Amino acid sequence: MNDGVILITLAAAVAAGTPLVLAGLGELLAERAGVLNLGVEGMMLIGAVSAFLVAHRTSSVTAGLLAGMVAAALLASVHAFVSVTLRANQIVSGLALVILGSGVATFVGRPIEGQPLGVHLGQRDVPWLADLPVIGRVLFRQDVVVYASWVLVLIAIGYLRYTKAGLWARAVGESPATADVMGVRVAAIQYVHTIIGGLLAGASGAYLIVARVPNWSQASTTSGLGWIAVALVVFSSWRPGRLLLGAYLFGAALRANFALQAAGMHGVPAEALAMLPYLLTITVMITLSAAGGRRGRHAPAALGTAYIRSER
Amino acid sequence: MLRLERRATQPAHLVLSVPLAAITGALLLGALFLAANGFDPLLIYAEMARASFATRYGIEDSLVSATPLVYTGLAAAIAFRFRLYNVGAEGQLVVGGICSAGAALLLGQALPGGLALALALLAGLAGGVAWVLVPALARARLGTSEIITTLLLNYVAVLLARYLIFGSRSLWRDPTATNFPQGRALPPASQLPELGGTQIHAGLVLGIVCAVLVFALLRWTRAGFDARVFGDSPAAASYAGISVTMVVLLLLVVSGAVAGLAGASEVLGRAHRLDPTGLAVGFGYTGIIVAALARYHPLGVVPVAVFVGALSNAGTAVQSLPGGGVPAAISTVLQGAILIFVLASEIHVAYRVRWRRLERTAS
Repeated sequence: MNDGVILITLAAAVAAGTPLVLAGLGELLAERAGVLNLGVEGMMLIGAVSAFLVAHRTSSVTAGLLAGMVAAALLASVHAFVSVTLRANQIVSGLALVILGSGVATFVGRPIEGQPLGVHLGQRDVPWLADLPVIGRVLFRQDVVVYASWVLVLIAIGYLRYTKAGLWARAVGESPATADVMGVRVAAIQYVHTIIGGLLAGASGAYLIVARVPNWSQASTTSGLGWIAVALVVFSSWRPGRLLLGAYLFGAALRANFALQAAGMHGVPAEALAMLPYLLTITVMITLSAAGGRRGRHAPAALGTAYIRSER
Repeated sequence: MLRLERRATQPAHLVLSVPLAAITGALLLGALFLAANGFDPLLIYAEMARASFATRYGIEDSLVSATPLVYTGLAAAIAFRFRLYNVGAEGQLVVGGICSAGAALLLGQALPGGLALALALLAGLAGGVAWVLVPALARARLGTSEIITTLLLNYVAVLLARYLIFGSRSLWRDPTATNFPQGRALPPASQLPELGGTQIHAGLVLGIVCAVLVFALLRWTRAGFDARVFGDSPAAASYAGISVTMVVLLLLVVSGAVAGLAGASEVLGRAHRLDPTGLAVGFGYTGIIVAALARYHPLGVVPVAVFVGALSNAGTAVQSLPGGGVPAAISTVLQGAILIFVLASEIHVAYRVRWRRLERTAS
């Protein structure tokens, strides 16, 4: 394998990891506020199909991205209502979101199944930085969403560490009863963070359509990326910075097939290569828990539990 | 502001009224969705009801569609009832199908019919167990969340089945099909018999037997008692000297075994070959809806599976309506909506819900 192939593979890993950064960051924020939303895959599907429909009609990538975000946020607010207001089982509610999301996406996406999208989010080199050796090629010859995802990660780090709202959210995730006594509006915080999670999952699905694979297919547009994003949050110990690195690691696994083909290994069946990201995620999940309960303690203490004031 | 008062006892009528209300709510929401997409909801619901229940073939199709859902609903009920979230029934079903088709192809000619069929069913069961074993062990011994591990294995299972038929010249692939690859037909001796000249096959009967066995296991055995204590409070089970590791392992393995049998039943009873595109159509996920509607009761799963099977079947029927069909995904939309409504109404079982303004009291 020559240097050029390595650089192309690394750049591809960053691009392939970007949907995971977006969806994972959204899930991370919801989980820090105590809401477990397993519906990421469903929200991404809704985001992707809405982005296609709107970008196709308006010929605007921006309109597509925004439509995907709004549609997925609507689905997320269903989860917020069912699990925060009605205190239903968050795990089953998240699964319901996946089923509902994929059903609605398949339904409204039937007329466009297999059609190519006319518009495309192109590469935008960062002036000066793109000419840096190695790093420029890998990091600064990407599209604007990749750069935006870095800004979002930085904002999330600052938000959770230094802002009042971020600290409130963490308090709600750790101990909603305590936060309630402090005067924090638990339900409002959880709604907002669940919906932000939806906006980002929608952006992730929309990005897949406008920048990565420009045609809609229920079976292969997301193909489990939403679930890998949920796993990434655990992998990151609920820290945005680590999430970014983890997402690129998984991005590399997603693009491994191209790297291996470029390296002249043609004997490996395509199906075996496609299994790689899933098997990697499972192995990482099991290794993390085998490494000891230490990491498990990073999870927000009240994650996934409903808060009922009269029973505190 | 919503105020919740915990009910001292759960009224018995809610066991029936909650699912019925959920189905009604989902149908109303589905009607809005259909109308918003430019379809006439009344016409489509009438056609769906007619297609599933009004004709002999419709009823047969509904029961054939219900058959795998009895197993996958049962698989979800066994696990979810005890807060173990095996969402990998889809993959366990596919691997069960691969294993039972493999056993039938290897043994179907060599052994007498009954024996070959029994071994093929057992192979399906073993395939399901094999596919759940790693997540189950990781959950029981290390505490790894079973949700993500079981779910991601679904994708791996589907890729495995596709490799066997489309990606290689394996035992499972029909050597005579050159244009479009398909599964090798199973020997007739190893197929599940059809019932009285209908398309309904013995897999349905076997599924109901499984439901009764699981009910008996949970109700009348020591292991079932342990599981119920664990379900109420894992800590209490631990203090009572029950091995939580064994309970978790047992429940997940039984869940995987039943899901594996779903694959065996589909392959040996309906498809009569390994057909990846017909096997992995979401029975595993639909099983979660069946289980939730049945309130995770093993026997309740059977009638609910018939209802949900009819719903899936109706989706296919309205696809070919004259004057522009409705996408078959309407049944998935309705199923997702039903699950949301079941969850939304669940609160009424445990609590008395009052909507009122927040009173400013010193508490």
